[in-house]
Amino acid sequence: MNNLFYQQELVRSMKLLENEPRVLFIGQNLLNAGCPMYNSLLKVERSRILEMPIIEDTQMGMSIGLSLEGCIPVTCYPRIDFMMCAINQLVNHLDKVEGMSRGEFKQGVIIRTQIGNKKPLNPGLQHCGDYTIGLKKLLKNTKVIKLNKSEQIYPSYFEALSRAKNGKSTLLIERGSGVWKI
Amino acid sequence: MNEQDLINFENEIVSEYEKGCTYGPIHLSGGNEQRLLEVFKDIKPEDWVFSNHRSHYHAYLKMGKETPMKQIIEGHSSHINCKEHKFFTSSIVGGCIPIALGTAMGIKRKGEKNKVYCFIGDHASEMGIFWECVKYAENFDLPIIYIVEDNQIGSNIKTLDVWNKRTKLNSPKVIYYDYIFTKPHYGCGKFIHFKRKKRGFKSMGGMYS
Repeated sequence: MNNLFYQQELVRSMKLLENEPRVLFIGQNLLNAGCPMYNSLLKVERSRILEMPIIEDTQMGMSIGLSLEGCIPVTCYPRIDFMMCAINQLVNHLDKVEGMSRGEFKQGVIIRTQIGNKKPLNPGLQHCGDYTIGLKKLLKNTKVIKLNKSEQIYPSYFEALSRAKNGKSTLLIERGSGVWKI
Repeated sequence: MNEQDLINFENEIVSEYEKGCTYGPIHLSGGNEQRLLEVFKDIKPEDWVFSNHRSHYHAYLKMGKETPMKQIIEGHSSHINCKEHKFFTSSIVGGCIPIALGTAMGIKRKGEKNKVYCFIGDHASEMGIFWECVKYAENFDLPIIYIVEDNQIGSNIKTLDVWNKRTKLNSPKVIYYDYIFTKPHYGCGKFIHFKRKKRGFKSMGGMYS
């Protein structure tokens, strides 16, 4: 029941984000089944989703670029392990853009990722890492929120959207264990 | 604007830098004046320009003298940025390549007609991220042009030495031009005594290259 509620809250949160016309969801396996995030976006209008090739750092950079043109990207990484490939654009660019431009550019990007399941099958060391603590230390201007409880999900995405509208970025780390059936 | 205007701009920066009152390193442009004047004939005020740590000429050509000069003197030679003039830089090699791509995607999705111009060096043009971004830009026909300013050197390393072979992409989204770089990698080629009293530093900084 708890997992079902977690799932329902993610679906509700994605609908919340969709209601903002400037939001665009981008990432891998968002239009094609293959990762848990796919399920959370099934009720989102297809034209609001940009399916990406597996180019994580480019995807993060593109998200910054899209935001320069007024978009609010919700950039999705199915595993936090995969998001580590985007660290350059996340840490060196998105997190620093306001500072290095002395406030000229304030880019609000919502980053969505998950910690991989270890049960019922353990996917191995490269698919179930949890780098939350390290990311909190690395990111000075991007708020990092770990979504341990279902009750956190909707308010956190609401906050992330508000922050994005004000040119602030947020990284939301969802939990994976047993949440989805694909 | 002509070649001499660009050279004078850099000379003015050197003059200020030599006073030791700036608080950041400078990366001077030089040797590519004529080529840039040609490229910028196509760039309109509503277009985006993305550049790198060596952006003085790009900044001057995009937004005139005042804004870049002020930012450089304040110590931001490597980070000249201006929202009003749609000018964005990154000092991480290759950093702007995907950001420019996303901006072009944003323009296309809005159905607007302006373009994105992204200036990179030859070292950045050998990076994997450049290849994937050019492929993406070409496949989705995004309104972007990457301009590779090829001086055969990255920092103080000869590009050919470390790659053993040069590869240039044959794409309508990429323009290459060669030039002979006339300035040091950073600094102005002289030892400078920095006056950092305002920030409480007593030691004399020095920058020589």
